[in-house]
Amino acid sequence: MNEASPGAAFISVLRRDLMLAYRHRAQILNPLLFFVIVVSLFPLGLDPEPELLHTIAPGVIWVAALLAAMLSLDNMFRSDFDDGSLEQLLLTPHPLPLLVLAKIVAHWLTSGLPLLVLAPVLGMLLNLGNESLFSLLATLALGTPVLSLIGSIGVALTVGLRGGGVLLSLLILPLFIPVLIFAANAVGNAGAGLDITGQLAFLGSLLALASALAPLATAAALRISLN
Amino acid sequence: MRPKQRNRLILAIVIVLFVSISAVLALTALEKNINLFYSPTMIVNGEAPKDRMFRAGGMVSDGSVQRDPDSLEVSFRLNDEANEITVKYTGILPDLFREGQGIVVQGKLAPDGSVMATEVLAKHDENYMPPEVEHALETARKMGVADAEKE
Amino acid sequence: MSIIPNWLYRLSSPKNFYRFAGTASVWCSWITLILVVVGLYYGLINSPPDYQQGDTTRIMYVHVPAAWMSMFVYMVMAGSAAVGMIWRIKASTAVANASAPVGAMFTALALLTGMLWGKPMWGTYWVWDARLTSELILLFLYLGYMALQSAIEDRETAARATAILALVGVVNIPIIHYSVEWWNTLHQGATVTKFDKPSIHISMLIPLLIMAVAFKFYYLSNVFQRARCELLEREKDKLWVRELLGEKNSE
Repeated sequence: MNEASPGAAFISVLRRDLMLAYRHRAQILNPLLFFVIVVSLFPLGLDPEPELLHTIAPGVIWVAALLAAMLSLDNMFRSDFDDGSLEQLLLTPHPLPLLVLAKIVAHWLTSGLPLLVLAPVLGMLLNLGNESLFSLLATLALGTPVLSLIGSIGVALTVGLRGGGVLLSLLILPLFIPVLIFAANAVGNAGAGLDITGQLAFLGSLLALASALAPLATAAALRISLN
Repeated sequence: MRPKQRNRLILAIVIVLFVSISAVLALTALEKNINLFYSPTMIVNGEAPKDRMFRAGGMVSDGSVQRDPDSLEVSFRLNDEANEITVKYTGILPDLFREGQGIVVQGKLAPDGSVMATEVLAKHDENYMPPEVEHALETARKMGVADAEKE
Repeated sequence: MSIIPNWLYRLSSPKNFYRFAGTASVWCSWITLILVVVGLYYGLINSPPDYQQGDTTRIMYVHVPAAWMSMFVYMVMAGSAAVGMIWRIKASTAVANASAPVGAMFTALALLTGMLWGKPMWGTYWVWDARLTSELILLFLYLGYMALQSAIEDRETAARATAILALVGVVNIPIIHYSVEWWNTLHQGATVTKFDKPSIHISMLIPLLIMAVAFKFYYLSNVFQRARCELLEREKDKLWVRELLGEKNSE
């Protein structure tokens, strides 16, 4: 028998998804543009007083990150479902949770990671201050993978449904709330010069738990949705 | 071992590993105690944020409540049995506000170290009893103190 | 020998469950009515006011049982959804689906009465502390469950998809219960559901427990009634439903 090892399968799914994303650059860029525009709407809608912006910046950036994640999540399995390659994925002899994890990693690399690059610029626009920038990057680095992981469960449950996008936000946004609370709180506290290791530890805990369990739940949900 | 069994074993080990990492981190986070409010000791030690709204919690010190006769202004002291801070507030206080009661105030730190509160919330305890019982308990406590003093 | 006892196995068939739930629902309704009347009499009229909170404390007799039920119903819902998914027992799935609206109602009731209680006592309707926030998330979870269930047309698929969602949401339940211990919340700690002696006077504990039992029976009667409707709809082409309808028509 000449079967590829599970590791090789993981790599090939990851490469395929990254390649697809690279070929459809607009699909990656649109959620990022959305992120930038939403964040820059707040100073326009509110009184652009530096102190006020400084106070609301952590929450605004994080809420915008959640919404951008929701937008990009919708695409995670959609095109694969439409062209039938998702069913092929389910039929491979490799463990499905592993392949799902590859797709989640690809999603994070194309949606979460770019946010980390953009966030410092937006932080400056919102007068966040240098002491908060590090904490903003740290929370985004720990938090956005959780968004991709938890989000994949919701996407897998709603794939192939009409009006899945709105339903997806109903299912997933409540589960994102803990990430939002601890991340925004950490950035705010860092701005006031307080210790934030507690919040970061909690985000890390969420990340570890989600990486262990979300691929399993997503794999199970995909098998149900494609039944 | 067949590949399928091996995969299962690896999966189980990975899950146990990640869940335990998660538990350890969660316990670390709980130890740090991400608080709804700061205690007077933390504020005296300068742990509270300087130019941002925060919440302070503690017991209202006995005999410290001073009301302004002409307005709704009120000032009182909050303690946590180790340290005390002064709180100033203008507005209507909740029903449960009284001396010795645990409360949470939201406000900013003034330069003199007192808290300018914009909101006062009363925190009530988990004990429920009729007034007579509380009266009886109070009497018993006083008797107990008196007995202890005699000895 | 099977793990599942014989009587339970027989009960799990839709036809038998339908009959059982019909009888049980009627009984549970009557018990609920009696207990609510007794509980409210003791709670609102024949119990002492609190030493600190006075008469406002009487909100407790609705608020606390509703909050308990909001978590209990979720556990029942997730548990029976899981059983329905693993062993493909239709009655179990029907119970899970029937639980969601009742659970959402209890959660909303707990939040609403809590707000009414919070204004006079704490001085605010709402505060974003861990207990209140996690209870609000619970309400969203119930609503998400119902939304997903109504969005998927195929009932078998819907049942299994919602089961996964319900199981993911179970993470929230310990957070709600322990939030008052883990964080310094404005909401006070547990009074009755702790290993220590309850810190509530017996004259107030009795009406509270009566109301809690009344809410449990209300839930049972409601869930049996809803599960019956769901089973009839699901099994509308089966012989037993036709026979049942035939019986009704010929009467």
